Amino acid sequence: MNSRFPMWLQTVYVAWSNLLAYRVNFFLLVIGPALVFFFVKFSLWSSIYEQQGNRELAGLSREAMLGYQAMVLIVSLLAQGHNSTRLAEDIRLGRITAYLIYPFSLFEFHASSFIALQSVQIITSSVVFLMAISLGLFTAINLVFVVKGLVLCFFVSLLWFLIQYCLGLLAFWLEQTWVMRVLFQIIAQFLSGSILPLEFFPQGLRDALMFSPFPYLTWVPAKTMLTGEGSIIYAVGILCFWIMVASLLARLIWNRGLRMYTGAGM
Amino acid sequence: MLGTLKKYALIYREFFATCLAEATTYRMHFVLLIVMDLLFYATTLTTVDFIYQHVSAVGPWDRNQFMFFLAFLLTVDQLHMTFVSESFWVLSASIRNGDLDFLIIKPVNLYFLIFLRHIRPASMLLCFVTVFLLWHFGTKAGLGWVQFMLLPVLLILALLFLVSLEILISASMFWLVEGTGVNFFRMQLQQVSRWPDFVFYGLPRRFFTFVIPVLLIGNAPVQFLFSPFAFSSLLWMIGLTVVIWVLIERIWSKALRQYESASS
Repeated sequence: MNSRFPMWLQTVYVAWSNLLAYRVNFFLLVIGPALVFFFVKFSLWSSIYEQQGNRELAGLSREAMLGYQAMVLIVSLLAQGHNSTRLAEDIRLGRITAYLIYPFSLFEFHASSFIALQSVQIITSSVVFLMAISLGLFTAINLVFVVKGLVLCFFVSLLWFLIQYCLGLLAFWLEQTWVMRVLFQIIAQFLSGSILPLEFFPQGLRDALMFSPFPYLTWVPAKTMLTGEGSIIYAVGILCFWIMVASLLARLIWNRGLRMYTGAGM
Repeated sequence: MLGTLKKYALIYREFFATCLAEATTYRMHFVLLIVMDLLFYATTLTTVDFIYQHVSAVGPWDRNQFMFFLAFLLTVDQLHMTFVSESFWVLSASIRNGDLDFLIIKPVNLYFLIFLRHIRPASMLLCFVTVFLLWHFGTKAGLGWVQFMLLPVLLILALLFLVSLEILISASMFWLVEGTGVNFFRMQLQQVSRWPDFVFYGLPRRFFTFVIPVLLIGNAPVQFLFSPFAFSSLLWMIGLTVVIWVLIERIWSKALRQYESASS
């Protein structure tokens, strides 16, 4: 383990340099979309609540809704930034051959990129969090709830990375994997409560969704940070279960895909 | 003039033939593109439907008016995805790897070659869905036959305005070298344009109406359809399209001088 640590550290460092080489691109690619998404929802809900005389909607006051949307922004920055574009490219162009003989596996390489991105995103989301506080978007902040939410965000980011990893591995079979990533993004944004809090969903659909990993990607961490609602142990348990499923799936897809791989790309 | 039109029509026919051949070779990708678009339409409409289960109106619009607005924008999006969207992604790669060289030297209009080369036949099939949505929500919103007759013209105007704005923005790829971020920026602007202008207040509303006028794409034509005497936004949009093309000519000629093939 000790002998591998410098390899991890160096790979994280290289990934970090790559990320920040094109800073404008990084901002437009990772931070910009989350900020625009928040801006649109903030405007929409401010306008709706103002028109409704600031009455509660689906049990949420105007302050609770805007606070929720701000927390969704933090969660998405902190846990949902990673994508597997590079992995799919590596497979398609046959670049993974090198990793098959390196003493550092393809998974470890992409995990290092993920760690590098997370380190940048921790700084970004901390700045955004402080800005949200200074703008008065949160009526009250309970540090214990925030810490609980951050723990959940850690597990969400692992699950997000593994899902993205699985989607990237589909390049063994698919001509282009970006469609799968966008598909997942559309489904996850809608069903995780990123666009609308789950309180706005019909009760039956909401109950059914709790059996899926989606609410745990956004709604549960955001609610935990705001209100401390729900058992964190239960939520971590559910996330660990889905992380295990995603890990097994990644291993299965990798083993199957590798059997088809010819070394000259796909 | 007629000869030029015929020449470009023949080139476009070849573009379409090669894109169709490519699309039908990778059938899984073809099917996934359709599923992706359908899911996008479904989640967009369902989001607004869920909101209207808790409120009776958003701004001056009831549910049917809002849904028609979305149907209009989804149709613009579908046309955009079919005819131009792919080309912007290819452009960013072409600038980076120097493939643009091969387009610059061809004796055909450069904008035509860059922005109309890549067609997505899978998205074309979805026109049945978007036309149905337009008809369904248009009827519910109380549109008459005159408004329905105007719809194709307004859709083309909205698409032309959106594409013009995007071509102008995409010139920045020549300076940024890595153009993927610019494409993401375009997509974010599209996201802003999918909401009615009355949702935004103050500075953001002025910014997205006058500086980067994406709010006009759907709002100007739809507001004109709902109240034909409110045509000032539509005129503003048409005027701006001309201004944008003047800017495109100037900025793109500078951008092309900046281009240094694969090393740029």
